[in-house]
Amino acid sequence: MVTEAEIERVAKLMKIEIAGDEYADHIDRVQKMIEYFDVLDRAGTTDAELSVYEMPVTELREDEHVTFAGDIQKHLKNRKNGYVRAPKMV
Amino acid sequence: MAAKGILQYVNDVKSGDTTCEAYMAWTLDRIKKYDGILHAYLSLNDSALDQAKEIDKKIKAGKKVGKCFGLPISIKDNICVKDTKTTCGSKILEDFVAPYDATVVARLYAEDAIITGKTNLDEFAMGLTTEFSAYGASRNPWNTDYVPGGSSGGSAAAVGGMECIASIGSDTGGSVRNPASFCGIVGYKPTYGLVSRYGLVSYANSIEQIGPLTRTVEDAAFLLNIIAGRDENDDTTVNSPGVDYLENIDAGIEGKRIGIIKQMMSKGTAPKVAGATRRAVSKLEDLGAKCEEITLDMVEYSVASYYTITSTEASSNLARYDNIRYGYDFPPDGYEFNSYIAKARRMFGPEVKRRMILGGFVPSAGHAGRYYLKALKVKNRLSEEVEAAFKDIDIMIAPTVPILPFKIGEKIDDPIALFLIDFNTVTANLTGKPAISVPFEISDGLPIGIQLMGRSMGDAELLQAAYALQSTVQLPEVTL
Repeated sequence: MVTEAEIERVAKLMKIEIAGDEYADHIDRVQKMIEYFDVLDRAGTTDAELSVYEMPVTELREDEHVTFAGDIQKHLKNRKNGYVRAPKMV
Repeated sequence: MAAKGILQYVNDVKSGDTTCEAYMAWTLDRIKKYDGILHAYLSLNDSALDQAKEIDKKIKAGKKVGKCFGLPISIKDNICVKDTKTTCGSKILEDFVAPYDATVVARLYAEDAIITGKTNLDEFAMGLTTEFSAYGASRNPWNTDYVPGGSSGGSAAAVGGMECIASIGSDTGGSVRNPASFCGIVGYKPTYGLVSRYGLVSYANSIEQIGPLTRTVEDAAFLLNIIAGRDENDDTTVNSPGVDYLENIDAGIEGKRIGIIKQMMSKGTAPKVAGATRRAVSKLEDLGAKCEEITLDMVEYSVASYYTITSTEASSNLARYDNIRYGYDFPPDGYEFNSYIAKARRMFGPEVKRRMILGGFVPSAGHAGRYYLKALKVKNRLSEEVEAAFKDIDIMIAPTVPILPFKIGEKIDDPIALFLIDFNTVTANLTGKPAISVPFEISDGLPIGIQLMGRSMGDAELLQAAYALQSTVQLPEVTL
């Protein structure tokens, strides 16, 4: 059983607030979902391989800068002098 | 006035039986009359009628007109249409205006389709009923007390309620096929990579696919001819194998081997749905197909695998909604970085928050081995089982959804009941196979869809089988 504390920790890492009226419901539902995932224990995949898809670098498109046609910055609301405005990091 | 589908509409416009303007006006009138009930649309194209007039002018002047001839088509609101709002059914993108067209949209425009509007969905396509849309649930045109399915429920309600002829949705775990089944229309998920996802707001990139919702199977083939093919903006796309998906759609299914998936006809299947599926099998046998039961043991674990993988990918994809590049708008002054982002994320609805938490938990240190890695292994084993089965059969069959449509609010508080509605559809996503839902019966006034699944890049063969199944049924029109 995953604990409330574990869910709270992950929520904090995801920058998701689960305080207030919705707290109990969120915890309950997330616990039920994770409990349901326990069915994976019965799948018998211990010796199964993980599939990996490899694409040769030669098949990737050229890593070239393509200028966006149009004024992309007009879609940003928090901008100043051609820069995006963001909150302080430190 | 209602055209039975795209092909009839195009023929009627070509022959002069109707004009683009007349049909568009009729469509907009339907929207005006019924969308207050169905709530299929989140926004409308105010220029649709003018665009229809322009196409009429081109036809009259003998100019070249694209294959769609002004087809009224709606687009799910998680697919970008330049200079229109793309909300993803979320408050966090309430004012987001797409700066470019998705590739599917550009290809439809190139063939003179007209977009009627953007359709409702569960927030970021996370849901099966549209009840998780931040803008309220859509309703089923067959009975407006019932859910239309989801997440492309607005698209299905619009097509089923004749508020457009076709729609383009996205299918991550059944989000095109499930609502198509619930609304009595065709819903088609092409082979992964056959249709570009450029301009689709990402939820779970490794398995989701854009696909059409239409009134007929041949309409789905018509649209696939337009939207399929390699796109340099989506490196997961493949070249369409030079097939005209419409050309031999009536090839029939005589001699085809059809596998009835045992696990998808088991105890969780409602008796009426199981009965309809048996009758569909019988109809296909009458047409010369050879049907036999097949076993896919990993299907039992597919839903857990699906939700583990999609939550993980979703939590990564949704990390971009930080209110800096995208999101709810308020100035950054006076905020510390984490609290600024956390405040913006209050605008996510409850289901999205839960999926983000899940997606942070299942791949995390100490838990990845138990959940995420196992989920990937199940996905791999399931693919091996499906590939092995396709050595002996050509098409797989199952009910699209194990149960009939249900009332709005009936299951919203039971997350596991909602998970299990995906039981029959997620296999096609996890294995990348094409799958289609064909409306087959009406039971208690509500539609039942049958799902057919084909080989990778076997979309033409799958559409032929679906067309054959469709030819055995004549469903009543929706009465709305």
